[in-house]
Amino acid sequence: MSLPVARSVVLALVRLSGVSKTFRSLQGSDYVAVRDFALNIEAGEFFCLLGTSGCGKTTVLNMIAGFELATSGSVEIAGRPIRSPGADRGVVFQSDDSLYPWLSALGNVEFGLRMRGLPRAERLDRAHRYLDLVGLSGQGHKHPAELSGGMKQRIQIARVLANEPQILLMDEPFAALDAHTRAAMQRELMKIWRTTGKTVLFITHDIEEAVILATRIGIMHAGPAARLKGIIDVTLSDSERERTDDRFIAVYRRVHAMIRDEVAIAMQRTQ
Amino acid sequence: MKRSLARLGGYLIGFASLFALWHVASVYLLNSVLFPPPGRVIAKAIELAQDGTLWENARVSLERIGLGFLFGSLIGIPLGLAIGSFAIVRRLLEPYTEFLRFIPATAMITVAVIWFGIGEGSKIFLIIYTTVFIVIISTAAGVSAVTPNKIRAARSLGASRAQVFCYVAFPATVPYILTGMRLAMGNSFVTIIAAELVAANAGLGKMIWDARLYMLVDQIFVALLVLGLLGFTADRLFRWGIYAFAGRYSPVT
Repeated sequence: MSLPVARSVVLALVRLSGVSKTFRSLQGSDYVAVRDFALNIEAGEFFCLLGTSGCGKTTVLNMIAGFELATSGSVEIAGRPIRSPGADRGVVFQSDDSLYPWLSALGNVEFGLRMRGLPRAERLDRAHRYLDLVGLSGQGHKHPAELSGGMKQRIQIARVLANEPQILLMDEPFAALDAHTRAAMQRELMKIWRTTGKTVLFITHDIEEAVILATRIGIMHAGPAARLKGIIDVTLSDSERERTDDRFIAVYRRVHAMIRDEVAIAMQRTQ
Repeated sequence: MKRSLARLGGYLIGFASLFALWHVASVYLLNSVLFPPPGRVIAKAIELAQDGTLWENARVSLERIGLGFLFGSLIGIPLGLAIGSFAIVRRLLEPYTEFLRFIPATAMITVAVIWFGIGEGSKIFLIIYTTVFIVIISTAAGVSAVTPNKIRAARSLGASRAQVFCYVAFPATVPYILTGMRLAMGNSFVTIIAAELVAANAGLGKMIWDARLYMLVDQIFVALLVLGLLGFTADRLFRWGIYAFAGRYSPVT
């Protein structure tokens, strides 16, 4: 009898249930970003949370990261409630202003390890290993300002991976990159995900990006008071994750059909 | 290497043109004993350097600036960090900073002399006074300019709140602190000369005042020249400090 319950507890690394988040504006009026939101992220999967702008997808990520606390409901990782940020959840931000410009690339990558008191030799060893993994071998001495936008995002990814968290939380990490760099970074990220087997929650508003990367795509209703509208499994092989592939296009159409109305609603509400 | 040579060359040409312009203005345009050409001023400077008065007065002024500036910064930086970090501290201290910073140090000279005498005490007090508010305000501004993502990233990389302060908020604020100190350094030069003109027993300001009594125009110009050079050097040192630490990313200068 207890088996199904036990199984789902083991499988769901991150579990949100009945989560609501209300922001109070300076004028005192309330804005409900998400209401009664539920989501399970399983260990090892690449989950894309797809939604229109302003639908509250970043709010969901921020609650899992521990930057914001849910107004009600429960947010858990590995069965423990999330009350603050922690090294078990690595966050990759859209903006590179989260990097430390006074530190070298290497200094940025080993930052978390240094804060957590790892010995220097081990820190450097790990930092170099992850710089290699993201394709920045031999660039560790450079400072962020000397690196391109794509390379800065690689540092962010290496910095989080070096910490060896349970889950990677990525908040539109490639949205500010040009199209070519973005495509290259998506391929890199796929490779890294396959090498490390990390669980990833990836936020995006780009259907194509979601279909290229995800093993599951969660589509959100338009905000405010948003919930998950549906989840689409993506069972494409690596060779099928190409914009021109027929099966890719089929998945794209399914996702598009689900989000199309939400885009229209979001457009109306912002006008 | 090539770039620093070019920079040095630029400075040399700049200074040479300054002196050339000064020479032309003094010898050909005005031709007055009241405006000595650079040659005469430099000759006078060598004379004053040899008998020791120039060194002594410059040393006294620099020492006052140095000490006051050091203490002013040492007081200002932690206060600025606290004001920038905690709203309650800001509310408690803003009446002091926002009230006192509009009373210029030069207006405090008389009070300072009455309180601390004509010697070092009043001068160092005035330099501290002129330094501290600028450093406080720019440090506090620097703390509030740290982007939230930097703090959040550190927290989710496993840094404690104390570590966030030491390893993120503080280094991110350093360029602002240095900029505040650089502005304060300029003010210190203004203040020390004003204070020494009004009441002092030594210093470059005193040297100008004494020269005025005996109409030693050359000597006045020596003091002015030295002031300019000292100020220029001090400012270059600061800019170099800002560049060395912050130049790689966001120099706020």
